[in-house]
Amino acid sequence: MKKRILTALAAAVMLCLALTPAALAEEKTTINILWWGSQTRHDLTVKLIEKFEELNPDIDVVMDYSDWTGYWTKLPAQVAGGQTPDVFQMDYAYLSQYAENGVLAPLDGYIADGSLDMSNVSENVVASGQVKGTTYAISTGTNAPAMLYRKDILDELGLTLPMNPTMSEYSAVAKAVYEATGLRDTYVTDCSAVIFRIHLRNYGLNLYNDEGTALGFDDPKYLVNMWNIALQAQEEGWGLQPGEATAVTAFDSMVVDAWSRFQNSNELQAYRDATGKDIAMVMLPSMDDATTPALFLKPAMFWCVAEESDVKDAAVRFIDFFTNSTECFDIVGIERAVPISSEMREYVTPSLDEVSQEVIQYIDFVSQPGMSSALMPADPAAASNVSELLDQYSEQVRYGMVDDLEAAAREFMDEANAILAEAANK
Amino acid sequence: MQKSLRPARSLSSTMNLNNVAGYVFILPFIIGLVVFTAIPFFTSLYLSFTDYNVLTPAKWVGLQNFRKMFFEDKLFWTSFKVTFKFAFIQVPIKLAVSLLVALVLSRATHLTGFYRSAFYIPSLMGGSVAIALLWKQLFSPNGAINQLLSVFGLPSNTRWLGDPNTALGTLIALGVWQFGSSMLIFLAAIKNIPASYHEAAIVDGAGPVRRFFAITLPMLTPILFFNLVNQVIGAFQAFNSSYLITQGKPLNTTLYYGVHLYNRAFNHYEMGYGCAMAWFMLLIIAFFTALIFRSSSAWVYYESEGK
Repeated sequence: MKKRILTALAAAVMLCLALTPAALAEEKTTINILWWGSQTRHDLTVKLIEKFEELNPDIDVVMDYSDWTGYWTKLPAQVAGGQTPDVFQMDYAYLSQYAENGVLAPLDGYIADGSLDMSNVSENVVASGQVKGTTYAISTGTNAPAMLYRKDILDELGLTLPMNPTMSEYSAVAKAVYEATGLRDTYVTDCSAVIFRIHLRNYGLNLYNDEGTALGFDDPKYLVNMWNIALQAQEEGWGLQPGEATAVTAFDSMVVDAWSRFQNSNELQAYRDATGKDIAMVMLPSMDDATTPALFLKPAMFWCVAEESDVKDAAVRFIDFFTNSTECFDIVGIERAVPISSEMREYVTPSLDEVSQEVIQYIDFVSQPGMSSALMPADPAAASNVSELLDQYSEQVRYGMVDDLEAAAREFMDEANAILAEAANK
Repeated sequence: MQKSLRPARSLSSTMNLNNVAGYVFILPFIIGLVVFTAIPFFTSLYLSFTDYNVLTPAKWVGLQNFRKMFFEDKLFWTSFKVTFKFAFIQVPIKLAVSLLVALVLSRATHLTGFYRSAFYIPSLMGGSVAIALLWKQLFSPNGAINQLLSVFGLPSNTRWLGDPNTALGTLIALGVWQFGSSMLIFLAAIKNIPASYHEAAIVDGAGPVRRFFAITLPMLTPILFFNLVNQVIGAFQAFNSSYLITQGKPLNTTLYYGVHLYNRAFNHYEMGYGCAMAWFMLLIIAFFTALIFRSSSAWVYYESEGK
């Protein structure tokens, strides 16, 4: 009896060993790829990877994906467990944190030896994936912040927004839309770090200094100004009051709460699909007394290679495939934003549908001289703490709990500078 | 000698085999306990003394996380107070409501079975995301609750979840609504009270209120004790409703301890700090549980003790 059990167990163990992928795949290299995105992106990426495997029969890809929120718990968990995927998507906000903690593999060597071909990519775009002079990440495409708006409503009311509106032009439209439909604005009342950065860039400043060791401004007036605009919009009714949002998803908000929304240019299609409304986009409103164009072209997201990966060559081949092959863009179009290779961009443009053409036109418009300025350096690792702090202060202001805005602004600046200094000294 | 050893040996080998089979059968549970409970439990104790950002190995920092918690993190104390407020308001109301409903349902009518199930349903769906989103919709500015109020001509422009004065109350109401499990336990206990006690009291001329306080309530104290301990532990660990509905807003009035812990650990990658917070909460819960146990001799009545 006992013997029979043992024999059965031994047989089972051997069967398990025989069936492991390593034994089945023979000499194939296996790479793990992880990304975040919407259902549209998942479908396209799966197709893309199947194509990649077909063209590279020696590589086997294991795919895994998640939504944005889940991604930032999934990826660190895999890193902590020593299971970092060989290739994974990265965001500009997290780039320096991951690079400085040694998670990302430097890619300069691969660019130099031509296995990662960047010859058709502008220097600025390559530089956007660098941290302290080393290239760790390759942009998937270029996009720009944009103000999505309900064109159907504006058409109905006979209103138009210029492609590059000033704050007074924008708020005049916002008031008119509010009076006619009751829909509000969520941009000027948001008062988050992302919006504040845009506000500062109107005056040639950035939220952080270039080293990320302190705030990039020292006058509380900018913060006070942003809060005042928000308070005025709330008072006049066209700005959404705090705690008044009813939407469950960001898409819903453009139907039930607001007529406009701050997003990125590559998201136009997703918003049209999800809301079923005619949504168009213009540039973010610039302050009337702005001295510098606030907008910037930015990497929509990056591909990175894990430093601990044993199959970096195969991983780099995938990124090169994504950057430079027509087969890739036949499938994905500009879903991960406008291709960084000028050759691929020329290749893909004629075959695009109307919405994608609009996105490309928008990027072209923003690329014109005087419409945008240089991209800021990647955020320091402590940025999430600073932006949480600003949210705390802004919420107090918006609920009318703060009498002296300037004192509050100074208090925020002191606390934020302390957080940044402490993180820099670690 | 030989004779008696033989059967004994074969008996012991059968026993061993049975033991092995037994261990094999509970192995899935043992593995689960070790991998998912015991190891994380002790790892988190270790991590609470480290600076651990997930991406690089943990660095030992001694008591620094605790120092930061008590003296630097303002939101720590905010979340602490919110959780206490939440627990001390929700637990008594929930216990009272579940006891009341159990009393009503203990009377046998032909619809009792239906009502018992109906009242239990919210608890079945308790932790679910769907219920939290439903609550968000019901209490949104133009949601069903405000529309209902306007039908009766009552003020209907309350931003239930957006107003710092009402947000926590709205979440407490969601918790109270899920009274089903403690209600069922009360119900079973009420059914267990011998009818003869009530009959004797009726003969003595006691009314229903008198009988409740003199018979039902004292007989229920062991169960009340059990429910109280469970509910207090549950309330201190509250997370879902705030995380899914309000994310701690407005003005941190719904920032539960658990939500603050999650934010630190998973949004800011301060895993060591998160673990330190978790261990402090464990101590708080242990303290209150011990307090309730200590006090129980004064108010819990066990029939078998013959007091």
